[in-house]
Amino acid sequence: MRDEAQPPQTALRPPEEVMRLARMGSMFPTRLSFLRNLIRRLAAEKVTVTRAVWQMDAGGFGHAVYSLRLGGHEYALVAVSSNLPADQRTDRVIATAWDSAFVLYDGIPEAAEIDRIVASAPRQEAARFTERDLILSRANKSLRLFAHVTQALQEGRQPDPEMIRDVGYLMRTTAVYGNGKFGIADRHLIARRPGLEGPFAAEMLTVWLIRHFTHDLAEHVGGGRLDRALKRHLGIGNATGLGMAPFLVTHPVLLHNWMQARETALARVRALPRLTSAQQDRLHLLAARAAAHLREWQVPDPAHHARIVALRGDWEAACNTLDLSGLRPLDAAMHRVRAASLDVQELMAALILEPFGDLVDDLAATMGDPFGPLCAPLPDTVELRARIARDFRWALVPDYDAPEACGQFWYVSAAKQEPRLGRRFAEEGADQETPLDIGRRVKALYQDLEGENAPLSDFLSRHPDHALAAERVAMAGRYPYGEIRDNLIAEDCLPIDMLRCKLAFFGAAKFDPKSDRWTRITLCQGAPLADELGPGADDWWLPVFAS
Amino acid sequence: MKLSVNEVIGLAARAARGAGAPPAQAAAFGRAAMFHLAAERAEGTLTAALEALPRGPILTLPLAFIRVLTEECSDTPLPPDVATALVQSYAEAQTFLTTLHPEGPQMQITVDRKSASPGPAISRITMSEDLFTFLNHLAARILVPESEASRIGGAGAGLTDND
Repeated sequence: MRDEAQPPQTALRPPEEVMRLARMGSMFPTRLSFLRNLIRRLAAEKVTVTRAVWQMDAGGFGHAVYSLRLGGHEYALVAVSSNLPADQRTDRVIATAWDSAFVLYDGIPEAAEIDRIVASAPRQEAARFTERDLILSRANKSLRLFAHVTQALQEGRQPDPEMIRDVGYLMRTTAVYGNGKFGIADRHLIARRPGLEGPFAAEMLTVWLIRHFTHDLAEHVGGGRLDRALKRHLGIGNATGLGMAPFLVTHPVLLHNWMQARETALARVRALPRLTSAQQDRLHLLAARAAAHLREWQVPDPAHHARIVALRGDWEAACNTLDLSGLRPLDAAMHRVRAASLDVQELMAALILEPFGDLVDDLAATMGDPFGPLCAPLPDTVELRARIARDFRWALVPDYDAPEACGQFWYVSAAKQEPRLGRRFAEEGADQETPLDIGRRVKALYQDLEGENAPLSDFLSRHPDHALAAERVAMAGRYPYGEIRDNLIAEDCLPIDMLRCKLAFFGAAKFDPKSDRWTRITLCQGAPLADELGPGADDWWLPVFAS
Repeated sequence: MKLSVNEVIGLAARAARGAGAPPAQAAAFGRAAMFHLAAERAEGTLTAALEALPRGPILTLPLAFIRVLTEECSDTPLPPDVATALVQSYAEAQTFLTTLHPEGPQMQITVDRKSASPGPAISRITMSEDLFTFLNHLAARILVPESEASRIGGAGAGLTDND
């Protein structure tokens, strides 16, 4: 337990408001996002990145090793660049070859270890790895930008800034694996290491180093140096699909901790009685930066483009009425946008956290889950039914037999064993459904509890299929933000909302949905370069080109 | 063969589901199997538990721990056909610190609700090829062949992404 008194705060926004898919799908990165937290840590430790190995041919094919020391431990990124035929370049998880492959290594690899990784990393899922390999990843080039940048450098000029602004990255990762996958290290082996305690910290460190590698690779092939401002705006892309979505359902404690940290941060800043003029100026500046960021956020999908256009206008209106001079001005700001779109509300929430690191950054330490669910089962069927009526009203509403309420089903594909979503009445496989249908399960439990008055163990001995729902109901008492309060098998369930929530916690921006099931994003855009980890390294929320 | 802790948990849980266990009990078995193998207890105990589905310890053992956690009792009679080693593995897999004490024909379970279990302390788990094959065989039962429709909806849905 922390000894110091906690800052004052307003009431938290309740889970029934926050944990709805549509709101989760409107989230923006905040200063509590994992990348922001990592960069602050790197800057605090004045981390130095060293390029120990660079064995690349003129075309940029070969391998490189970068190393750094963080929290008393040394880590290395081993990067392998391959000559990939165009017909094999796909973002799909079932791909078997990539432009580049990466391993974040625990320590400084000896030559034999580098040789092992150079041979195995390009094979990704087809290879086996060791506990020294912390993270496994791969990336494909953004061909048009990579070709343009290298050609420009070869011709002795800088690349077109507009093209850099519009694309935003030289490569995009298509998977970043951690926690024991394919034999790499389990999370618990590094979870207590300073700097890597936070959720996905090792993954974020890998992504930031990969971005550094992409800059070096382009400069190597181009034979010139990129302007610093251009380079800073070159983040690292990512293509993410359904594989990421079930995580939020299968990790309710983590989801709760992430959400509660963010909501507590919001409640703390809303409780501020007054703002100094400097704080007001800073918020207005950031609001204008957000507006500029929205103008630079271009996507080809017509529906999402229309949503961004609407947000631009709504945000401008919200900024025009942003009065920060009164009492509890940030609470008032949130109240003022309650009638606006969810996009505006969530952008406002992210904005008002930004200048108050002293007040909220400590909450990042609460976002991990070192133990798993620490809550006892409910004792009997009477208590269980009462808790469902209290905490799961949302789950009792749908008629799960109606086609529109059960039209989709989650499953694991035989190809690479990845999560997928099928149409229940049009595709095979519903008999092997993955149990992400929490709402339906809780309602079925509730119905079978009617008239029951028995110890839980007795009831479950007669109804073993209800054990999962009983667990989730018990968890909701201690982890109220741990459950997405929507029907995840409904015909209108949009997995993209789950993806955006998780990716916003990572620190992603420039969401570029390609369907309601997968999206491209940009990470690390505007983040400090490896030689910029000093004062000011934390000021890159919703970056704007060349700002 | 050597596997990561998370690989063993996931594989054993999927195998239990493939063998017919409901999801919560399958997940509990996954964690228990990891502790079981980490302590180098007999693999045959795990195989027998899976083969006993849809009955047997994968369904009954979680109930014993529920009885203790809900304070129905601290001494709980365990099913007579359950190997003590598997009970120990389930105890180690609890999130609360849990200890076992043999009490004649019964096994006393003690749960410290103020302390979290220390969790796994190892990096690799050894599993025989036979068990690995058996678990994968069961786990494959819950896999679904990809359809054309799911391929169209998946990430990177174009044939190539050369943009």
